[in-house]
Amino acid sequence: MRAAASMTASKQGATTMTERSVSVAGGQFKTDVIEEGKGQPVLFLHGTFGLDADRFLNRLGDQYRVVAPRHPGYSGSTGSERLLDINDLIYYYLDFLDAEGLRDLPIVGHSLGAMFAAELAAVQPERFSKLVLMDSFGLWNPEYPVADFFAMMPRELGATLYHDPESPTAQAASKPPEENEAFIAYMLERAKSLATAAKYLWPIPNRGLNKRLHRISAPTLLIWGESDKLVPPRYGQDFQAGIKGARLELIKDAGHLPQVEQPDQLAETVLSFLGQK
Amino acid sequence: MKLEMFHLMPYRELPQDFDERYRSVWVDVPSQLMDPLKVHQMYNDTLDELELAAVSGFDGVCVNEHHQNAYGFMPSPNIMAATLARRTRDTAIIVLGNSIALYNPPIRVAEEFAMLDCISGGRLVAGFPVGSSMDVNFAYGANPATFRDKYYEAEDLILKAWTNPEIFSYDGKYTQLRYVNLWPRPLQKPHPPIWIPGGGSIETWGWSLQKGYLYAYLSYAGFKRGKMVMDGFWKKADELGVEKNPYQGGFLQLVAVGETESEVQDKFGPHGEYFYNKMLHVYPGFADAPGYRTIDTIKAGLLSQTTQFGEAPPKMSWKQLLEAGNIVAGTPKQVTEQLEQVIKDLHIGHLMVLSQFGSIPHDLAMENIKTTATQVLPKLRGIWDGQWEDKWWIHPMSSPQMPGPLRYQQPAAVNGGQHTPSRQPAGAPAGD
Repeated sequence: MRAAASMTASKQGATTMTERSVSVAGGQFKTDVIEEGKGQPVLFLHGTFGLDADRFLNRLGDQYRVVAPRHPGYSGSTGSERLLDINDLIYYYLDFLDAEGLRDLPIVGHSLGAMFAAELAAVQPERFSKLVLMDSFGLWNPEYPVADFFAMMPRELGATLYHDPESPTAQAASKPPEENEAFIAYMLERAKSLATAAKYLWPIPNRGLNKRLHRISAPTLLIWGESDKLVPPRYGQDFQAGIKGARLELIKDAGHLPQVEQPDQLAETVLSFLGQK
Repeated sequence: MKLEMFHLMPYRELPQDFDERYRSVWVDVPSQLMDPLKVHQMYNDTLDELELAAVSGFDGVCVNEHHQNAYGFMPSPNIMAATLARRTRDTAIIVLGNSIALYNPPIRVAEEFAMLDCISGGRLVAGFPVGSSMDVNFAYGANPATFRDKYYEAEDLILKAWTNPEIFSYDGKYTQLRYVNLWPRPLQKPHPPIWIPGGGSIETWGWSLQKGYLYAYLSYAGFKRGKMVMDGFWKKADELGVEKNPYQGGFLQLVAVGETESEVQDKFGPHGEYFYNKMLHVYPGFADAPGYRTIDTIKAGLLSQTTQFGEAPPKMSWKQLLEAGNIVAGTPKQVTEQLEQVIKDLHIGHLMVLSQFGSIPHDLAMENIKTTATQVLPKLRGIWDGQWEDKWWIHPMSSPQMPGPLRYQQPAAVNGGQHTPSRQPAGAPAGD
């Protein structure tokens, strides 16, 4: 959940990661894109807390060309003020895909980005060959409500996001930088990105996706951290009930951010699904 | 100099261990702690107190809007203002205000304010707050990412609705209306004075100055914090080349007056501590929904290190509250001197006095109002005379058809000064 501002230099390992800026909708948006690997393209839409060129993306990049845009309002991606609601956001992503010349490709989304991915797969079902939704927002059931993370203080948020908040991995991922200037940049990026997420999730993360889920025709894999306390795995079952033929896989010892707590298992699960004919 | 009395309308009887047992006085404060019979009494006490202020020398009476809040439960200040409009005669009715972007469509506010202005004979001051994050985002569910933008649009629409004599259509980002045509329109022309109550967002300073509206800093942080904020406001006025007329600035201050310092401490001390230590017990997660404050304001807070993330304010004793400037208290002479200093230091033409705060019982609040009105206000009123003109004040009509001036009568004291609710208590047999 480290804010995106601090992420650009965090990449190690494989050498194929590039970062570039794309002009979308005649220059109305400048979108930062992280790209990993070569080969068939896969669109990755990041979650509520920003985009990290992490081990999970790195592993996907071993076999695919992963195109991971930062949503407008996150880090250097501009134009968020032009997006008032989820409809605007869907059209923005259609523009982005057009700008990149992307069609007939798998789409993988996490958290907020999974909600966007589901919307896109419902709006243009023929455009996406496969759909992977990880710990997705987008549905609401008052019996097991999505936790109100907008009202959480940092410590509570940490406790909610991870299977094991005390683990060194979780601690490292959620700790703000100590140095003053970096701390200010971190807090400002955090404020900006959460405000962007609020546009699509406030006060209840339900923008009517349940009315459109049946339109999704791509083979769909649903992945949930078994101990996701933010969006409980029950929502995985709800997505499964709404999307014909969807499969649900739970990741053990992971919360809302399986790519932080179980990156390898997550990558293997996703790669295996993408590799199926 | 104008001096107005402000009332928050607090619930005076929260349990002693409230701050230990519950996480917030606002948004998710348990409704089981509220007794509607006591609420009946407290509303009427509050109106009595504001009416007393109106007849004993205050220039105006102020009411404001909060939601799901035990220290201020006037969800609709317009209802309070409506009864005050009838029961007072020449006092300004200052509604501080209606959170204009919460109402759909916002011309609802334009209509109700026009009604209040007409009923009162042109005595309304129209306050347009953005509203706190607790109120607008958490209690009313408004989206923090777009709320400020929606606020600016609401202000634009209301002003057009008040001043455009023709029927017009409005194609806004947030509000679309085919026919905008207010019945009634405000009595004051072109419209009632507009005050912007702020909590310290820096963009509100420039906006209020450019629009020509009064900026009122409403916080309970007292005059030391108030000085920092008003200095920022006046510095912005310099930058924009706007004349620094003190009447364009307002400030809220808690005030307690009595015969001697020790008497004031004995009488008001526990109530001041109740207010700061129990009533301002707000869960910090509710203070600031993402997007509610602009990046510029957050940055200013981080750079000046005035913003503490996730820190609950420390508990304060009466003595500390006085030293920190949260409360101005003492004999009439001491209070007069200190308020004069506050007025001059902050360079303000409107001081809103909070005479009832926390658990101050009705009789003591009445005493405080009376003493402040008669022994403090007269000595402060002339501060800006001959130097500045108040361009942010009401213009009442000349011969309103109002009921006669209110003669205030002390309610008969029963049960040691407590009113006895005339209703049957809850649980009594139906059919009364």
